[in-house]
Amino acid sequence: MKRWLSVVLALTFAALVAVPIGAAAQGKDTLTVALPSHAPTLDPHMHFERVGILVNINMFDSLLHRTAKLEFEPSLALSWKALNDTTWEFKLRKGVRFHDGSTMTAEDVKFSFDRVLEPGKEKKKSPQYGNVRAIKEVKIVDADTIHLVTDKPFPLLLERVVFFPIVPKKHLEKVGEEAFGSTAAVGTGPWKLVEWKRDQHIRLEAFDGHWRGKPAFKYLVFRAIPEVSTAVAELKTGGVDIIRNVNADLLPDIKSHPLTGISTTPILRVHYISLDMRSAPFDKKAVRQAANYAIDKQAMLQKMMAGLGRQVATVVQPAAFGYDPSVPPYPYEPKKARELLAQAGYPNGVDITLHSAAVDWRPHFEALGQMLTDIGLRTTVKMWDPGPAWNKFLQAEGKATNGAYGSWGNYSVFDADAVLHPLYHTEPGGWIGKHYARVEGLDRLIDEARSSVDQAKRKRIYAEIQRMIREEAPSVFLYTQNDTLGISKKVAYEARPDEWLWLFAAKPKN
Amino acid sequence: MSAFLIRRLLRFVVVCIGVSVVTFAILHASGDPVSLIMPEAPEADRVQLRVALGLTDPLPTQFVRFVANAVRGDFGKSFFHREPAFGLVVERMPTTLALTSMAVALALGVALPVGVYGAVRRNTIADHAATVVVFLGQSMPVFWIGIMLMLLFAVQWRILPVSGWETWASMVLPSVTLAAFTTPLFMRLIRSSMLETINLDYVRTARAKGLSEWLVIFRHALRNAALPIVTVIGLQFGLLLGGAILTETVFAVPGVGRLLVRSIVQLDFPIVQAGVFLLAIIIVTVNFLVDVLYVYLNPTIRLR
Repeated sequence: MKRWLSVVLALTFAALVAVPIGAAAQGKDTLTVALPSHAPTLDPHMHFERVGILVNINMFDSLLHRTAKLEFEPSLALSWKALNDTTWEFKLRKGVRFHDGSTMTAEDVKFSFDRVLEPGKEKKKSPQYGNVRAIKEVKIVDADTIHLVTDKPFPLLLERVVFFPIVPKKHLEKVGEEAFGSTAAVGTGPWKLVEWKRDQHIRLEAFDGHWRGKPAFKYLVFRAIPEVSTAVAELKTGGVDIIRNVNADLLPDIKSHPLTGISTTPILRVHYISLDMRSAPFDKKAVRQAANYAIDKQAMLQKMMAGLGRQVATVVQPAAFGYDPSVPPYPYEPKKARELLAQAGYPNGVDITLHSAAVDWRPHFEALGQMLTDIGLRTTVKMWDPGPAWNKFLQAEGKATNGAYGSWGNYSVFDADAVLHPLYHTEPGGWIGKHYARVEGLDRLIDEARSSVDQAKRKRIYAEIQRMIREEAPSVFLYTQNDTLGISKKVAYEARPDEWLWLFAAKPKN
Repeated sequence: MSAFLIRRLLRFVVVCIGVSVVTFAILHASGDPVSLIMPEAPEADRVQLRVALGLTDPLPTQFVRFVANAVRGDFGKSFFHREPAFGLVVERMPTTLALTSMAVALALGVALPVGVYGAVRRNTIADHAATVVVFLGQSMPVFWIGIMLMLLFAVQWRILPVSGWETWASMVLPSVTLAAFTTPLFMRLIRSSMLETINLDYVRTARAKGLSEWLVIFRHALRNAALPIVTVIGLQFGLLLGGAILTETVFAVPGVGRLLVRSIVQLDFPIVQAGVFLLAIIIVTVNFLVDVLYVYLNPTIRLR
């Protein structure tokens, strides 16, 4: 009996040793990125997920590319210009190849736009339709020239075509949409698809015929790791090379580890508390201003965000087109805040409730609530899961509350419109600020700036809007945020202000 | 025997109906599903979709249709993935079942010898030490055990991969984590049920016949002591599937639990419904099978 047992034990041990232990060997030619999840499809037009866009940009090219300094750069289009207020001309790069070997043509460009625009169809399939809805027609002028015609002047057009991947018409029609989104995705980008194992990894291999040349890493792998602490552990042990969205509390750990470092950059995300101007007490301007004077933004940035961010005067970002640096942020003046509150008829303060679904920012939300309480706006903070309940709250247009804390990412569009319209324009539907904001004349100004391609004029209007909202204070204006990547010391890569992972720029480091 | 099984079968059916009601209610508990599918669409489009989805019919009609579709595995398309929800759940099921089964096997593998030893040598230092471990194990939440094991074995000692589900080695930590959650319970149960049987007359008779002590314990005593354990394995199976949700998230295992967690956050109700329905049916089925097994193992029921 005993001998029998020892044989079994020995065999088990042998089996354990024989099975390869550890993650798939990380070769020097492989770059591995951790994402919290995968998008539902690899088809770049049929989702609107940040995690999907990050994968897509490395497999597909768009007409234009955006550099890390946020300048437009030729990609599939070599040059572009506005012929008039509503027509843009793009000259296409010649001889660009898709991963299946076929050559990209003007037909493919038109096909790509049309499958999102679906002219003549009532219901649009693509969730990205809203981004390009201004495009009325895509005209093929000759083999290398495309005209994009918009229904009215659309200054954001170039921003919108920076992520608008071109897909191969023939191939897509042959394999069908379903296969294209899962096993047969084909683009013109630096890497081509090898394998997608859902919830595990997307494996890409460098495309030999790419017009930019070969990327430094032959293989690019996107692993799906939902838990942040797991991603950090993988980073430290070499299981992954890049992790995103590192919170301030994890920074010291990653910085001090011998194998890992960080790269951080200001991004477009701006934090704010939207105030419900429809009801007391925030129907009074003085109360809204008091709330703005109550917040010690520097303390928040230094104590709770590791200094990674900067205070802003309104919700318009320094990096966005239309930002006016002459508008000063509200200083931290609790005494003045109390005076304003008393003037507005609340000498003994008032009870308010603020809501939020920004679960990752709970401590910050609570700190903000405490600062408001200190000046007499006695705040109850209510934290929601970003699930059904929060959805109901939004559907009820945020009623029975006084405000909501959150942040806005501008869809990575570097233009004041990308934050002003969703937050303050009162047309129905959409984001919470729309229900709350009631600033007279603001809608008209936003519309006016939106429908002009005269950038000088737009700049003037945005300056006026920023002075206006700073005075009217429809929100408590807070600060911008950084995006911080955790990066293996074996890889050279810098975080980008648009939060993209453009991994053609990544290089191995010795 | 057949009366017992028929009773159990009836209960199985009743529970299945209950599960359907709850699953059906999930969609309706969260407000208007149409505004989840198309949040920014004009009202006319919404009305159209409501009619198309049959949401304007009376609730009982909707329920019957839901059940009829559900038994055919049709829960509609996932809002997020735009594919049939049932397929998305089913394709991840083998992973979750493998994880759960490995955890049960591991838990039994540890709990059986330790539990028996604790009963045979009760009130020794080893027995008390095992009790302490039991309390510790039961007081620690699954995700915490998972993260601690990960830090030790994967980050500190580098002998196992941190996460994933690709090699045999990557399955060790998730299975051990999940097993740690249920081993203590098995251990206690085996110990106490062994204590009961070990002093019974037939065991003493076996000893008196001069059989070796280990033969008496494993051949005679354990057989009877195993009965309650079989029942508890069935019950624990449900808890383990629940525990698998956390374990899968911590270790990035591509199973049903992780899909469910994400779908709940994304309000993807077809997947939540398909997942809850399927998991519930599996749990109910396992418990039913355990009942059948029980009859086979326990002649006192068989003969009644």
